[in-house]
Amino acid sequence: MNPVRNENLKNTNLHPEISNGVNIKVQNLRFAYKAQAEILKNLSFQIPASTFLSIAGPNGAGKTTLLNLLSGLLKPASGSIEIDSKPISSYSVRRLAKKVAVVRQEFVPVFEFSAAQVVSMARTPYLGALAFETNADKEAIAEALEMTDTARFADRPLGHLSGGERQRIFIARALAQQTPILLLDEPTNFLDMKHQVGIYDLLKKMQIEKQKTIVSVTHDINLAAQYSDMVLLLSADSSYSFGPTREILTTERIERVFDVQTFSAQIGQTKFFFPLGKFTKSQSSPPGF
Amino acid sequence: MTDLLTPRSLINKIALCLAALVVVMFVCSLVGTQKISLSAVFAGPGDTPGQNTDYDIFVRVRIPRIILAALVGAALAASGVALQAILRNPLAEPYILGISSGAALGVMTAALAGVSWSFLGGSPMAAMAFLFAIGTVWLVWFTGHLAGGSTVTSLLLAGVVINAFFSAVIMLMTSLIDSEQLRSTIMWLMGSIGEKDFSTLLASAIFIIAGITGLFTISQKLNVLAFGAGEAQSLGVNPRRITLVAFALASFITAVAVGLSGLVGFVGLVVPHSVRLIFGPDHRQLLPTSALLGAAFVVICDTIARTIISPAQLPVGVITAIIGGPVFLILLSRYSKKVGNLR
Repeated sequence: MNPVRNENLKNTNLHPEISNGVNIKVQNLRFAYKAQAEILKNLSFQIPASTFLSIAGPNGAGKTTLLNLLSGLLKPASGSIEIDSKPISSYSVRRLAKKVAVVRQEFVPVFEFSAAQVVSMARTPYLGALAFETNADKEAIAEALEMTDTARFADRPLGHLSGGERQRIFIARALAQQTPILLLDEPTNFLDMKHQVGIYDLLKKMQIEKQKTIVSVTHDINLAAQYSDMVLLLSADSSYSFGPTREILTTERIERVFDVQTFSAQIGQTKFFFPLGKFTKSQSSPPGF
Repeated sequence: MTDLLTPRSLINKIALCLAALVVVMFVCSLVGTQKISLSAVFAGPGDTPGQNTDYDIFVRVRIPRIILAALVGAALAASGVALQAILRNPLAEPYILGISSGAALGVMTAALAGVSWSFLGGSPMAAMAFLFAIGTVWLVWFTGHLAGGSTVTSLLLAGVVINAFFSAVIMLMTSLIDSEQLRSTIMWLMGSIGEKDFSTLLASAIFIIAGITGLFTISQKLNVLAFGAGEAQSLGVNPRRITLVAFALASFITAVAVGLSGLVGFVGLVVPHSVRLIFGPDHRQLLPTSALLGAAFVVICDTIARTIISPAQLPVGVITAIIGGPVFLILLSRYSKKVGNLR
């Protein structure tokens, strides 16, 4: 294996017009945590409405940081983020919650809220002064439970559900929030293969049926290859590549960004990638393996 | 979908708890060292003062004391609910976190500075109690973060340390008080419900009910905050603002309760936990029902405190601690694993 190190990737920035309107526009974004080197440098990309974007890259490349910037949780050091052609800083917390829903890595609160109660919290930005759910709120909650196939365990405490069921509940909550944009941080972490595909099928369904813009941070290049329209590949050295999935996910680039020897295979329309360790049992393996 | 709260079910539950409180207050008002005949009470005060002792004891001693106990219970239970939500920690409680001793230190400081022991009605003691309570919240939060984030153990540890420190300072102050005041001060510090005049009760009732109402208006947001600041913000809740408001209101009603009764511990732990087991974790109903049942709990504890070694009386804080201590240990063993990893 002879990986090419420290080479800046060319910024492809293709901006294909997949559908009308631009939901998210990021320009010259910079961010650094206190007293640390910049984790994101001069990042610029546009995500057209109803796009499925995967954000991938090695650990520490700034994937979750970027998600927190897009959700307004962190403020950029410089540069701008626009949601629906308006700067993210111009949104109140409540108005932004009507535009962007976030599914973070799994978290179970200490209080035993039922799954339905958790989903109902999605309606918080819509509730009136008395903070009781109206019929419209209840319809949104019921629809979200139905779409995510979670209604049958909605009355059970969240802590009593399996990891996959809990993740579906948090996606149901994001759906009940009725936002055009959905951000997810490694939604298939800790899930088995069946549930990984189940979650991504669900996200794709939401993209197609509800015209949502989906931005998902993932470590799974092959899920990204199968489901996303576009990919943002962040490198540890703050360079990045952005564009249509097939153009961004190439064996050469994956080897460079992840610093690992990779084989690829085409199955149908999709190219799949397999990282190879030093002891892989293949033709190139050393004798004895 | 069956468990989403509706205004009707909330009103039903509040009515149920209110009825329970009224029954408890009525029954406890009849219990005491001195046996009282209800018919004598209903006969009225009589023509000259002291003519009808049953009436005098019932109206002038028992009823004010029971109202006072109810106010203290409501304030401490509601404060516990709010603190548990914002700290995402079922073991948070004004006494355990040291907020009560902070408020007590405020009262003691005001007392030593020469203010009389009468509470409220323009006395700076209330303000001092509140300021010290708020200061303690900040101190516990700050120390807890120094000790490794807002995990269950670091916050509790910070509360225990600050509680111990304040107790030492209070003891030092107590030793400076002349012997006449000493006994009443120590009884007050151990949490005692004595006689208070009507204006004190009225003012405290207004403050406590206003504080609990304030907390109720943010109770749905407390649900969301239980998932963490980031989650709350994504769901349209400003976590800093709600945390600040909840801390201020919880400290305020705790300070009023401490001014009334001294250090009564564990009410904010036992009551919200029990109510959660009955009605579930939704803060929109947890807060008002905990306040009402907390009131009933302290009325019962105070009735035990004033009758169990009669004619002498125990501080009510002794009874709540005897009940609350074991509950705390059970909850600690149950939750420490679950919440130990929280950020």
